Amino acid sequence: MKIKSGFILRKVADSYVVVAVGNRVKDFNGVINLNATGAFLWQLLEKGISEEDLTKKFLKEYDVDKEILEQDLKVFLKKIREAGLTEE
Amino acid sequence: MALYKIADVIFDINTKYNYTHALCKNYLYKGEESAEYSFSITDEMIKKEKELAPTFPDFYLESLAVFRVICEYLLDNKQGIIFHSSAVAVDNEAYLFAAPSGTGKSTHARYWKELLGDKLSFINDDKPIIRYVDGEFYVYGTPWNGKHHLDTNCKVKIKAICALLRAEKPFVEKANVSDMLNVILNQTLRPNKEEQIDKLFDLIEKLLYNVALYKLGCNLSIDSAKIAYKTLSGGKNED
Repeated sequence: MKIKSGFILRKVADSYVVVAVGNRVKDFNGVINLNATGAFLWQLLEKGISEEDLTKKFLKEYDVDKEILEQDLKVFLKKIREAGLTEE
Repeated sequence: MALYKIADVIFDINTKYNYTHALCKNYLYKGEESAEYSFSITDEMIKKEKELAPTFPDFYLESLAVFRVICEYLLDNKQGIIFHSSAVAVDNEAYLFAAPSGTGKSTHARYWKELLGDKLSFINDDKPIIRYVDGEFYVYGTPWNGKHHLDTNCKVKIKAICALLRAEKPFVEKANVSDMLNVILNQTLRPNKEEQIDKLFDLIEKLLYNVALYKLGCNLSIDSAKIAYKTLSGGKNED
């Protein structure tokens, strides 16, 4: 799974935001707000990563229960997929 | 050749249609200096605007293309951004009202006018430009002035930026930086290139920390303007 090109994540005034640039603005003109963990996932997804590897990397970084993480991750990935932000 | 001074920059604007020149007539520059930036609008640029707004005629789309070029130049070189809002000046201090279209920015600005009369002037009712100059934020009038055609060719220091929302009972409250970040991001033009994003975000961050930020609950009455003006001006009454 990979974030489409043209989306840019930045930290602005202590908040993480994603906006579109260039031609991507035609598809998406809004603002996505992420928390620190969301931004961590986004950065990995920008480069393209499998769900399995994403889980592994997350567990290395954060001390969380694997099952809970997998559930939460599913929700997060479903959200960004449905918003049309990703390509497979 | 026609020179225009917009946001303190002299532009040489070359277009196919006359509409933009008519629109910009109050910004015509007749001084001695030469243009800082000279540009021509191409068919390709008009075509791009048409993709975003297919129903508008070419002469109008050309004026939007001109505005886009100006905004990109200001962002690249002058720490300037367009800020979609209604901007008014009272006692040489500017108040900017921002909200999604249809919330009532212009209506709220008109209530301020009704309240304050000649003390208030409209800087721009739709697309003013903000620039960071010598450590302060200023708002400039532009010819792209919205459907009520309200603008003044001027530069005024910004006192406050207000996010408007509809409310049954009017209120004023201080807004925090994270609340206002999205409001401001949604009212600026998204740049074309990735490197411009950093300039935009850098300016927005400075803006958030440098000017007073408020949320204004507005209803369709002059009361919302009364309450807002009193708080925002630091306790002044309207007369």
